[in-house]
Amino acid sequence: MLSFIIKRVGQSILVLLITGLVAFSMFTFVGDPIDNMLGQERTMEDVERLRQQLGLDQPFIVQYYRFLEQAVQGNFGVSYRQGRPVAEILLERAPATLELAAVSGIFAIVLGIALGVFTAIRRDGVAANLIMSASLIGVSLPTFLIGILLIYLFSVELGWLPSFGRGETVKIGGWSTGFLTESGLKALILPSITLGLYQMTLIMRLVRSEMLEVLRQDYIRFAKARGLSDRVINFRHALKNTMVPVITVIGLQLGSIIAFAIITETVFQWPGVGLLFINAIQFVDIPVMAAYLMLISVMFVGINLLVDILYAFIDPRLRVAA
Amino acid sequence: MLRLSTALVMVLALPATAEDFKFAVTTDPQTMDPHAVNSAPVLGFLNNVYEGLVRRGKDMSIEPSLATSWEPIGDGAGWRFNLREGVTFQDGSAFNADDVIFSYERASSEQADTSSWFAPVSEVVKVDEFTVDILTTAPNPIFPDSIANWMMMDSGWAEANNAVRPDKDQGNYATLNANGTGPFQLVSREPDLRTVLEPHAGWWGEVEHNLTRVEMTPIQNPATALAALLSGDVDFVNPVPIQDVERLKGNPDVSVVQGVEARVIMLGFDQQEGAAESGQGAADMFLDPRAREAVAKAINVPAILQTIMRGNAEVASQLVDPSMRGYSTANAAPYAFDAEEARRLAEEAGLTGQTIAFKCPNDRYLNDEAVCQAITAMLAQAGMDVSLDTMPVSNYWPELRADNFDMYLLGWSPGTLDAEHPIRFLAATPNEEARLGSWNFGSYSNARVDELLPQIQSEIDDSARQAMLDEVAAILQDDVAYVPLYVEPLVWGVRSGVELTQRSDNFFILRWVTVNQG
Repeated sequence: MLSFIIKRVGQSILVLLITGLVAFSMFTFVGDPIDNMLGQERTMEDVERLRQQLGLDQPFIVQYYRFLEQAVQGNFGVSYRQGRPVAEILLERAPATLELAAVSGIFAIVLGIALGVFTAIRRDGVAANLIMSASLIGVSLPTFLIGILLIYLFSVELGWLPSFGRGETVKIGGWSTGFLTESGLKALILPSITLGLYQMTLIMRLVRSEMLEVLRQDYIRFAKARGLSDRVINFRHALKNTMVPVITVIGLQLGSIIAFAIITETVFQWPGVGLLFINAIQFVDIPVMAAYLMLISVMFVGINLLVDILYAFIDPRLRVAA
Repeated sequence: MLRLSTALVMVLALPATAEDFKFAVTTDPQTMDPHAVNSAPVLGFLNNVYEGLVRRGKDMSIEPSLATSWEPIGDGAGWRFNLREGVTFQDGSAFNADDVIFSYERASSEQADTSSWFAPVSEVVKVDEFTVDILTTAPNPIFPDSIANWMMMDSGWAEANNAVRPDKDQGNYATLNANGTGPFQLVSREPDLRTVLEPHAGWWGEVEHNLTRVEMTPIQNPATALAALLSGDVDFVNPVPIQDVERLKGNPDVSVVQGVEARVIMLGFDQQEGAAESGQGAADMFLDPRAREAVAKAINVPAILQTIMRGNAEVASQLVDPSMRGYSTANAAPYAFDAEEARRLAEEAGLTGQTIAFKCPNDRYLNDEAVCQAITAMLAQAGMDVSLDTMPVSNYWPELRADNFDMYLLGWSPGTLDAEHPIRFLAATPNEEARLGSWNFGSYSNARVDELLPQIQSEIDDSARQAMLDEVAAILQDDVAYVPLYVEPLVWGVRSGVELTQRSDNFFILRWVTVNQG
């Protein structure tokens, strides 16, 4: 088990280094930050001076090396746009994204599993068929369109929910939370649905098909023959065996909920790290882009690692193989 | 009758109720430091918090602010500013000549982004507590016009908070805090999230607004900003996408405020001799003025404005618009659209059969990409083959600097709102040392223009100066140095019942805002 973990950690670090290299080689294509940092009355002299000061005259390999050198010491540089340390900005923005991701993750998992089990057990029911057809919308409509539709309906037309932002937040230590105020909770509803809808339908369809597969197995038939109640068969025996692949997918999807919050955050002007990243791209704020991409890849690699380990615990066969 | 009396009651109920005002902007100001970044979002916002010696009125004319009067001294040696007495900064300390000297040193330092404003200044001298002489190296008739955004900072405050010089790269206390003399003071600043202002109780001026609290939120997505306006979450958005203007006009809860921005959109050409483009087009194709004239005549600007701008913009004839100082009324006629003549000129100049590399930004000016596509199609009608390449502005300026173009789109907003400004930056032969022609990407050059520029800069007599500006405008038109297209439109969206003034520099001045509660 230990050697399995060590091996996976080693692979993870390699993946991180390569991601960083690719990211830095791409930054030159995003544009030149200098013009965004100086006004129209700048001279070429100013441009060159600033370029040198920021180290942008160096090849990307050198820039990458300098970034890594600073990053391992916990220093992610200073944002070109805001003139503040990147680490400080990221810490300030992270609660917004994490709270949004948590709420939409819970929404997706709870509703996804519940509806998945329901549609599997009542395979031929009218309600199950309706849910299945409706879920196609969640899978096929792009996130930004769902977001704009929700804003139009619930903010502009009905006026029930705020159209943008996080509402009032309360600071607890360094963490700003929207869970404790009414406007904060209201503001969470639309973005969470927008972000979680796709994952929800995905989990639901996966649970349904896995469950149908399991319900056909011999041991379920034997359980029925033994006279166990439907509840015990469905929830203790069938659901448990359904969950193995579902957990993998949920784990990976959690990562993408955070990473792909970018679009939802842009549509709802949600002040999280995704919106920060979009702003950074527009401004060519390289320190912020670099830190964000590294953070996201650390997260993805970490989640994969965790899922692998979790998997090994749930399915003993994998433990032996490793 | 009943309706009439109800209306009367409503009018009577109107006067000044205290108002909480929220507005959305597309770009959050990068900093609260008035000397660190010379950009419209920063200076526009900080104009509500800080003040300069002079300021611009509703019609953009220069009027007294922290200086009550000013006059030229000596024989063009500089300007004397008489300062307003009894002005206090928001932290309570008094404003005097020392703060002017300090603000000059701060704003003209190497770390500042505003230092170019002070290139003509040799020295700033304190005459007494409320009199300051600003000496210039040469006579400078438009100096007061050029410092409307030079904002005064309290020397004591800056010293106490270790912000004596601006710090663009690392930031300092003044990046997140402010202490001006203006009508509003900064209460809280959360970059990218919200910035809150409240009226400054000790402001010297007469209060016209009825706001008690102002909250600014950046919203980048125009659809979201519009939804926020329609749902009443914000009271003001800028800009409204052109295509949504008609729809908003039909909505009784909001109104659209339209005008023109002090920004002329134009085409520029590569006129550098022997400059071979990186494999695109042939070198020197626009060296022949007939080739540039062919482009000018092939473009039907009114048609572009009618379709793409939906009638919201005005045709331009020169590098400044009629509202600006030094506009040449003698040269007010734009190039006439004539596709046949354009075709003939293009053939004569050898433009036909070559591929013109046309570069265009797609996120800098209103509908810039659509305008460039229309131009491409119009040039094709006149027999010119154009290869259009559009890109985000972050990639655009490096491309222009690298000379990778035959033709390009540019918008120019003169900081001084004077015709001298575009001549200095766009028409003068590029010269790094003299700080001339720094945005003249196409290297247009005319000896007479270069000769007239310093004379214009130092001519005190208004009519003599205008005569020279007229001459330059005529030369630029004859040479087809640039093809001015139109003046950029301004479209603001606002909740009904809010009264405001739209200034052509696109600054949102809060002291002119009143909210009527029905």
